Amino acid sequence: MAGYVGPRGLLEIDLTAQTARRSELPDAVFADTLGGVGLAVRLIDERVRGPLDPLGPSNPIVFAAGPFASTPVPAANKHALATISPLTGLLNEGLSSSHFSAVLRRCGLAAIVITGEAVAWTTIAIDGDAVRFEDASALAGLSAHDTTKALRDLAGDRSLRVCAIGAAGERGVRYASVENDGRQAGRGGTGAVFGAKRLKAIVLRGRGEVRVADRAATAALSATLRERALGPKTAKYRVLGTGANLRVLQRMGQLPTRNFTAATFAGAENVTPERARESSGSYLELRAGCAGCPVQCEHLYVRKDRDKRSAAASEYESVWAFGPNCGVDDLDAVLDAIGRCDEVGLDTISTGSTIAFAMECAEHGLLPRDAFGPPLAFGNGAVLLPAIEAIAARRGLGDLLALGVRAAAARIGGGAERFAMHAKGLELPGYEPRALPTYALGLSTCTRGACHNRAATYDRDLRDPVEHRGDDERAHDAILAEDRAVAWDSLVLCKFVRDCFEDFESEAAALWSAVCGLPLDGDALRASAQRTWERKRAINARLGWVPADDTLPLRLFAEPIADGPHAGRSVDPARLAALQSTYEAQRRAAASSLLAV
Amino acid sequence: MTVELFGMSRALAGRPTIDLPIDGPIDYAGFLRALADAVPALVPQVIASTRDALVEPNLILLDGRRAVRDGERFSADDRPCVLFLASGG
Repeated sequence: MAGYVGPRGLLEIDLTAQTARRSELPDAVFADTLGGVGLAVRLIDERVRGPLDPLGPSNPIVFAAGPFASTPVPAANKHALATISPLTGLLNEGLSSSHFSAVLRRCGLAAIVITGEAVAWTTIAIDGDAVRFEDASALAGLSAHDTTKALRDLAGDRSLRVCAIGAAGERGVRYASVENDGRQAGRGGTGAVFGAKRLKAIVLRGRGEVRVADRAATAALSATLRERALGPKTAKYRVLGTGANLRVLQRMGQLPTRNFTAATFAGAENVTPERARESSGSYLELRAGCAGCPVQCEHLYVRKDRDKRSAAASEYESVWAFGPNCGVDDLDAVLDAIGRCDEVGLDTISTGSTIAFAMECAEHGLLPRDAFGPPLAFGNGAVLLPAIEAIAARRGLGDLLALGVRAAAARIGGGAERFAMHAKGLELPGYEPRALPTYALGLSTCTRGACHNRAATYDRDLRDPVEHRGDDERAHDAILAEDRAVAWDSLVLCKFVRDCFEDFESEAAALWSAVCGLPLDGDALRASAQRTWERKRAINARLGWVPADDTLPLRLFAEPIADGPHAGRSVDPARLAALQSTYEAQRRAAASSLLAV
Repeated sequence: MTVELFGMSRALAGRPTIDLPIDGPIDYAGFLRALADAVPALVPQVIASTRDALVEPNLILLDGRRAVRDGERFSADDRPCVLFLASGG
């Protein structure tokens, strides 16, 4: 083989000095990491050697292109975005996708590393090999969508690809998102790191060729994947979207409700996106998706009597966060909240969860009920938008809630910690850990905090919630899920096509080899994923992580599920500790095997 | 036997439940054949063309709690639900 054939440029940008240095990454880096999250984590690992201030100039922001972006491989125009999270203080590696990812590679780049901080709002413009630092003062306060439009209008070039932050990132909300092409890298507050660096946007223009090593093999393997991705295994995402989870989890009694005080929600049917779809007389449904993806999973809804530009995405996690988790059964209020979060650049899971936390604090007299005007109370959809505005503007109580539930609870005191549903500072997503023991383990060990996409151990639990499996098997399942997530995120392939592989490791390795030109088999792919996971934990350890941080919110231990078929179940701390011990033993054994190779 | 439908099966059937002419306990394959007879639109998106297996990741949960095991027979009292469980997003 002739070596790695994809773009291998590394662009290192110092915003303080306003300098850019370009170099080329060697074959060994791609063989080690595959690309995407693997590459981003390695670049962070090389630069973060001890504790740092996530909002300080030394915190790097790393973009790393997926190795299949801008190639015929479907569902793969994606990139990783890594930094140290201001919400958790630990490594935060997220993903985004679509045209920006593809053009990153057409600029000849495998990765960008940004450090330093500008003295005024700045746009980094990358035009092929050239890098410019442009004043972005006029863009301050704009949404990512409007920033993109303004930058395109200014350049007279509709083909520019832009990633940007909104007002929440500018003001340092610790769960602010970064957006490109209508897609968000939402979790963990990367938008606040942009804001601290006074980095408003990154603009790409690239028209370079992206070569693949074996065109015939790439075409054949891609055609197979595309055909499967148009079949029944992705039908739910194509036809209904992830919002279809809501009815299912409600039926299973596993729909976290009112800040995890219940597991069923009487108003669930009112906010399920499927109901909007079935009410075609009332709602307009729009479809969207990433460039080059046959699934087109995004389903947006808006009432027919409203401007269709206000249509909001109906992803399960977003609907859950503002619907059941806030006790709100008004779909319009939920969609408006989601849409507003996208405009100001806020992570919907953390925003909804933080408002739910505030509602419960207000219920117990720890926060004023009238802080946002309409009563801050479970079930009141009218308070969602005022709360979001206050958080994004960091105004009044919104300034406190902008810190996330962990930090806000510590400042509120009075026992508010028992209402703070987070792991390592990241707010919980919409699954019920008390009914899903393997997921509870994965949620506790996840290096990112409470991330359902890194600790996707719920799939097997959901299939059989009352199945009794041994600790060895559960620990193995958790490790397999974590490492497989790393592999997906390094390749970077959309997890929605995960059932489209018959033998994921060997088929994905063959695809990577055909595209990139370096040898790879299933074992080597697994080893790469495992190395990246070990790096993630090593980075966290240098940042101050200790094993005791691998825990869950107090409520999950102390308060059994109150209702539904799983009523009475809680997380037994001794049981979780035993599972974690087995997990750690298996992790150590796997690390030893890796060193022996 | 009343069967609850969720996600794709509900969208294809155009209704939330379906009543099957089954009185006593039935096995997995027999149940799927009866369901395919009642709602032909479920083949091949939810039920495989062979009509005796579900297309992954669809599955049958009894009372929304427990997957049907190999060789297990179940009845109307078990309240079967047809779900598509792949998650994420």
